[in-house]
Amino acid sequence: MNIKTLYPFPAIVGQEELKLSLILNAINPGTGGVLIRGEKGTAKSTAVRSLASLLPEIEVVAGCLFGLNPEETAVVGRCEGCCLCGRQGGTVRRPVRVVTLPLNATEDRLAGGIDFEKTTRDGKRTVQPGLLAKAHRGILYVDEVNLLDDHLVDVMLEASASGENRIEREGVSLSHPARFILVGTMNPEEGDLRPQLLDRFGLCVEVKAEIDREMRVTTMEQRESFDAAPATFIERFAAETQELAQRIEKARRFLPKVQMPGRLRALISELCTEARVAGHRADLIIEQAARALAAFSERLEVEDEDITRVAQLALRHRQREPGPPPPPPEEKQHDDHDHSHDEEPPEEESEQEENPNQDEQPDDQEQPPPESKPEQDPGDTGSSGGTPDESKEPTKPANPDAKEKVFEVGATFKVKPFNASKDRVFRRGSGRRSRSRISGMQGRYVKSTMPRGGKDVALDATLRAAAPYQRHRQSDCAIAIRPEDIREKVRERRIGNFLLFVVDASGSMGARGRMTATKGAIMSLLLDAYQKRDKVAMISFNKTEARLNLPPTSSIDMAARLLAEMPVGGRTPLNAALVKVDEVLRGQLVRDPTSRPIVVLITDGRSNVAIADGKPIDECLELARRLSREERVRFILVDTEEQGLIRFGLAVKIAEALKARYFQTAELKADTLIDLIKE
Amino acid sequence: MSCQTIYPFVAIVGQEQMKLSLYLNLINPTLSGVLIRGEKGTAKSTAVRALADILPMIEVVKDCPFQLAPGDGLNLCRECFHSDCRERRITGGPVEALQRHIKVVELPVGATEDRVVGTMDLEYAIRKGEKRIEPGLLAAAHRGILYVDEVNLLDDHVVDVLLDAAAMGVSTIEREGISFSHPSRFVLVGTMNPEEGELRPQLLDRFGLSVRVEGIADRESRVTVMERRVAFDEFPETFTGRWKGQSRELVERIEVARQLYPEVVIDREELFTIADFCLDVGVDGHRGDIIMMKAAKTLAAFDNRKKVQKADVEAAAELALPHRMRRQPLMEIGDNVKKIKGMGR
Repeated sequence: MNIKTLYPFPAIVGQEELKLSLILNAINPGTGGVLIRGEKGTAKSTAVRSLASLLPEIEVVAGCLFGLNPEETAVVGRCEGCCLCGRQGGTVRRPVRVVTLPLNATEDRLAGGIDFEKTTRDGKRTVQPGLLAKAHRGILYVDEVNLLDDHLVDVMLEASASGENRIEREGVSLSHPARFILVGTMNPEEGDLRPQLLDRFGLCVEVKAEIDREMRVTTMEQRESFDAAPATFIERFAAETQELAQRIEKARRFLPKVQMPGRLRALISELCTEARVAGHRADLIIEQAARALAAFSERLEVEDEDITRVAQLALRHRQREPGPPPPPPEEKQHDDHDHSHDEEPPEEESEQEENPNQDEQPDDQEQPPPESKPEQDPGDTGSSGGTPDESKEPTKPANPDAKEKVFEVGATFKVKPFNASKDRVFRRGSGRRSRSRISGMQGRYVKSTMPRGGKDVALDATLRAAAPYQRHRQSDCAIAIRPEDIREKVRERRIGNFLLFVVDASGSMGARGRMTATKGAIMSLLLDAYQKRDKVAMISFNKTEARLNLPPTSSIDMAARLLAEMPVGGRTPLNAALVKVDEVLRGQLVRDPTSRPIVVLITDGRSNVAIADGKPIDECLELARRLSREERVRFILVDTEEQGLIRFGLAVKIAEALKARYFQTAELKADTLIDLIKE
Repeated sequence: MSCQTIYPFVAIVGQEQMKLSLYLNLINPTLSGVLIRGEKGTAKSTAVRALADILPMIEVVKDCPFQLAPGDGLNLCRECFHSDCRERRITGGPVEALQRHIKVVELPVGATEDRVVGTMDLEYAIRKGEKRIEPGLLAAAHRGILYVDEVNLLDDHVVDVLLDAAAMGVSTIEREGISFSHPSRFVLVGTMNPEEGELRPQLLDRFGLSVRVEGIADRESRVTVMERRVAFDEFPETFTGRWKGQSRELVERIEVARQLYPEVVIDREELFTIADFCLDVGVDGHRGDIIMMKAAKTLAAFDNRKKVQKADVEAAAELALPHRMRRQPLMEIGDNVKKIKGMGR
């Protein structure tokens, strides 16, 4: 990248926190990187990229492709087996690098692999260092880090945890230091980070657009004059850039002398305890960042103010909400949890939803605010029940005669794999549950592997595999490839599913601690859903109604919290629940016609509330049959009925009507070691 | 696309907003593109394809795979595989440059990632045992237009790639043993039918402008549409010939505006109006402000004026803001900015 065309760092208007956190990292690598979260168009990427012009110089062994300094090469055995630098001796100075890790990188480029060209020429396996090597002692920058493939995240995490990167691939075995500052930007709209990755970032800043008019105008002016004549603009800020760079350089030299008074350590640990952070990383990072800040302010001693200023940066993403209060033993009222979800985003099923402000009809006709449409507000679903067509008697959520209990979540377990049916539809979205499109050429190529009988040949890896033998093989082409060289691509097929949990919360589920076990089962399914990056929604039903208490979301946390709080008691309005399921599915399928929702119905099947006249169970089976006609949806029924002498076996019938896969709770487990439901 | 006769841009009936947004992008590529939303059969794709007719000229190094201008930096050239050209550029020898129209590069919805970002040239690798890069569509689209039909159906990971490149005007390749980065600044033009799903907000934001096209309600115009289409299908050459004069006029007008743009000034007062607009409507980030200002200036240039007027700012708002207004998931993209603004005040 050409530094000459980068927007100058000091010319960024506002965003002081963002700038400060980057400067602290430039001064003290111990600060541990920064995660920049924020809405679009807030100079996130611009700031990181322009940081390159501010970075100080470091000393590097001449020719070393791993960016080692003389002390590192002095370690016994470090350079053994590596002759990439040609042992020129001596050192050179170069600025700290900002290495970009693009989202479409393949694993061989991140971790390093064999150098195809050199290997072919010399007949000796030669390593081509990856981005981790390039980023050693520098900055590894990932734009949109929350979209990074899991394969790459794993490699990165491993290196970042140990400070070493081991290349064990393609016949090369090598380990090199890889200590880098991780800088990532993300837009939370696109989903969140895995907790382990989140914790790797020392600091976290939230950026927002400036709301000050003056600043916005300045932003516009500066951007325009940059676009019009970049060189002139950069020139204009050259002095300022230079000054800042020198200040950083100075602070960097100053840093080892900065003292940390003991009493401030107590303050740090107090702050960390208050924020309920996990682990000790936060403490260390606050200390390092505070020292950098003191050095930047040219003070020899860290002050309280430094601590408080950096503490919010270091704690923001580590803070844990105060743990959920222990579930009260009984008499948990409904409205407790109904209300807690009032502020949720409007449920996504309603396609027709519009902002009242921007309704399409140009006349002045007042649109009712969305809250008044019952299907659109999850918090309000209580009054609409599962039967949108008929108005029902108002049922107060807190019904005094039905006793409701909240059961604990039982032990979780590893869930048997289940997924949507394979088909040939090309899909969007991301996730890891279902494989789609057998042609195999879809999805992102992340790494290569030994052939598994597919046709998706990874030509680059094949060439690398063949490279070392070229000097002994004869061929018309420059490269002779033998069958044993063939490598195949591993692609990340990025399809997550939509999982709709339908949970029976009727009184019959409460017997003999069955709900505890059931909750354990659901929680296991939820954990599974998290790992597969699914979207979930949850409907629960008891007494006389079914409620969508979690509209489609990727926030599994929320589902888990809801589950823990879910009270049990009352009758089994399974039929109303099925109607609700239909409603949610229709919305989902309109929104994303290629999605293949999976409905997980957890019930004992004892439907005893009919919507119209007639026997509840007959109505239920009829509804189930109708639901089963939608071919895009798969049903899974988890039967929670006890395995005893008297069984109604209703759930089996419903499963048949739904064409659902039928499980008993115990069978869900990947390895049936403990049978939770049997008592 | 080249040999076949293209429907003349100027012969498209109505759809003034769409045409205007395309002109503006030709005049000022830093507007970074337009998203054309609308139902089927509203000349969305025709218009983009017809652009070929009125594209301005740029100067490029002959045969340069990265569409560099003769004055561009040499960083890239040092690693370029095009050895003749590389030697000549680095030694400072004369480089052949030529004038050509900017390109419209089409990104098919089913395109694979390696075609988009570029990959290792396998043929070369097998023949010569050396690696060299085979540039992808992002390299081809540098300084030109990248056109995605049905952009809302684009594969998710291809969208990520686009986002990466569009953000900084640089495409970085770190895959399949290749490590390379090259400039990739393009005007992103997308068409979509909102019935088939929305765009990810992040990608939406990358489009500078957005317009909504609808079928024309006026009977007379509809008849004209039919007549022209039939005339074109029967005798394409004659038809295009008939419009040549108007096409040329338009090209000249765009060229004049291109020259004029750097001289266009905008009062600070108008900038405050823009900031207020954006604050009222509640756009995310600053991109809305910047694009709106640029659009207003470009409009003035297109009008052959050196000063931005109030009307320009208002017209710019309608182009730059509809898809940026903060909205809940699934909310219809606002069509009427003026109304929103009225409510905000």
